[in-house]
Amino acid sequence: MITIALPSKGRMKDDASNVFAKAGLKIVAVGNDRSYRGRIEGRDDIEIAFLSASEIARELGNGTVDFGVTGEDLVREGLPDADARVEFCARLGFGHADVVVAVPEIWLDVDSMADLGDVAADFRSRHGRRLTIATKYWRLTQQYFSGSHGIQLYRIVESLGATEGAPAAGQADIIVDITSTGSTLKANHLKILSDGVIVRSEACLVRARKPAHDADSTVAEIINAVSGALQG
Amino acid sequence: MPGMDMPEFSGEILDELSRRNTLRVDTPVIQPAEPFLDMAGEDLRRRIFLTESEKGESLCLRPEFTIPVCRRHIETATGTPKRYVYLGQVFRQRRDGPNEFFQAGIEDLGDPDTAAADARAIDDALAVLRRVLPGQALSVTLGDQQVFEAVVAALGLPRGWQKRLVHAFGNTQGLEALLDSLVNPRPVRGLDARVAGLLATGDEAALVAHIDHVMQETGYSTNASRSPADIARRLREKLALAAASLPEHSFNLLKQFLALDVPLREASAVLGAFAEKAGLELDGALTSFERRVAALAETGADLDAVTWRAAFGRPLDYYTGLVFEITGKERGAVLAGGGRFDRLMTLLGAQDHIPAVGFSLWLDRIEAARSGA
Repeated sequence: MITIALPSKGRMKDDASNVFAKAGLKIVAVGNDRSYRGRIEGRDDIEIAFLSASEIARELGNGTVDFGVTGEDLVREGLPDADARVEFCARLGFGHADVVVAVPEIWLDVDSMADLGDVAADFRSRHGRRLTIATKYWRLTQQYFSGSHGIQLYRIVESLGATEGAPAAGQADIIVDITSTGSTLKANHLKILSDGVIVRSEACLVRARKPAHDADSTVAEIINAVSGALQG
Repeated sequence: MPGMDMPEFSGEILDELSRRNTLRVDTPVIQPAEPFLDMAGEDLRRRIFLTESEKGESLCLRPEFTIPVCRRHIETATGTPKRYVYLGQVFRQRRDGPNEFFQAGIEDLGDPDTAAADARAIDDALAVLRRVLPGQALSVTLGDQQVFEAVVAALGLPRGWQKRLVHAFGNTQGLEALLDSLVNPRPVRGLDARVAGLLATGDEAALVAHIDHVMQETGYSTNASRSPADIARRLREKLALAAASLPEHSFNLLKQFLALDVPLREASAVLGAFAEKAGLELDGALTSFERRVAALAETGADLDAVTWRAAFGRPLDYYTGLVFEITGKERGAVLAGGGRFDRLMTLLGAQDHIPAVGFSLWLDRIEAARSGA
């Protein structure tokens, strides 16, 4: 039995359903419309689990589902060494959003990560504390700041709600957040750094790397069908 | 299982360390996480073992001894100078090696004779290693951030560049990238006409007032984070730097300096020759450097087995001067590492400035050197 985890609600649910329908794998719910289980019409070897986007990322990491449709950002955030644990089989063309580094617009002197590095280096001596970043994306932020840009001296505060409001509320100095149109950032007087895009994310068909898949024809069939549907 | 039991040579290490005018201390294994994260930043978070108290306070298993020992010194409000010895387990997620392993070392606090204290730290570390690795060749590499700071200052570079260069010191890739970017600076972007106009007039007060006004309008508090004055000052500095590029001459001198890698016996002469040829006034830094070399010679150290590498540093902002590493000849594994961290005590809350230098011994690597060599 191959299990595919799909988004349980919203636009992502509909878009995922459409892609699979185009691929000749029509999804039907088991039970009522709100059920968490589903199947592929005419197939008894594939089952569908409807989960939240972040749950999907986690279950892929655990290997408790074989495939999942979820945002690349959530997979890369949720799984250390994501590419070794899962395979991004197809980029599905919906759910576009970027994970970005955004600072107050009024920081006229800060346009790049290098500028931010300068500000972070000096921050403690000027303010008695480290530069603080509000975000849900701990791993992506650390990888980007410490790994890619050599910036070590900052603190992350977990942002549970509206991350974009944190700087104005005095909870953090800058943010790392997901954005699609950029309108929320603008409304909160934040700007994206010129080199501040950490991940250009979209919904992907993701496969948990399991040895058993190599010999499983259904696995290959699903990948080919979805890839084919995207080209049409 | 490696790292589980105290190494059998621990007694010898403690014996050697206790003969050196020291006081043995221990610290709790479970520590508040905040001081470590505050000092080293988020990068450390991935590597330490975190947990929470019932009340939600962030705790960790001690990843090292320096911060706990220094905090203990501040909390017990004892005077200086003090030389503390420790030996115990530390806990870190590492790429190579077990997550729990033993370290021992000395933290030397409050000795105003920094040259002598630096030399003593190196001598102490060597003495312990010679005791537990008899007959094995050891090599010492040392670096000194103060010398680099002096070179950068003597070149007459703009302050903004000096700060960036000093901050990048110790991170080879970062420093190289920075030097390249200084040769080819990018123009300042993203300024609207109003701000560009204010900058052109050079009226700083008007610029600050404008920024302040915008902050108020958009709901930002002017003192929760960067202030209008902060932003204005750095913007003007940035503009000035963007108009200039690092002269080729200065770039070449910096590259030459960073390439220096000589036995300590020749280091003062080499440094002096570099300064003279480059026309750089390094007198203060040179004198301190020579005093340390002299102090080290006095301990009986073989100055041919010690190398000064101009580019060697540690990219943490509380390491201010000497850094050193001792490796075994064959394996290249670092058996001991140390340095001067004069800013740390103040950052941890000490009222007075307390000069500090110390080192740690990696007991698991020493064990491997004893059995495998």
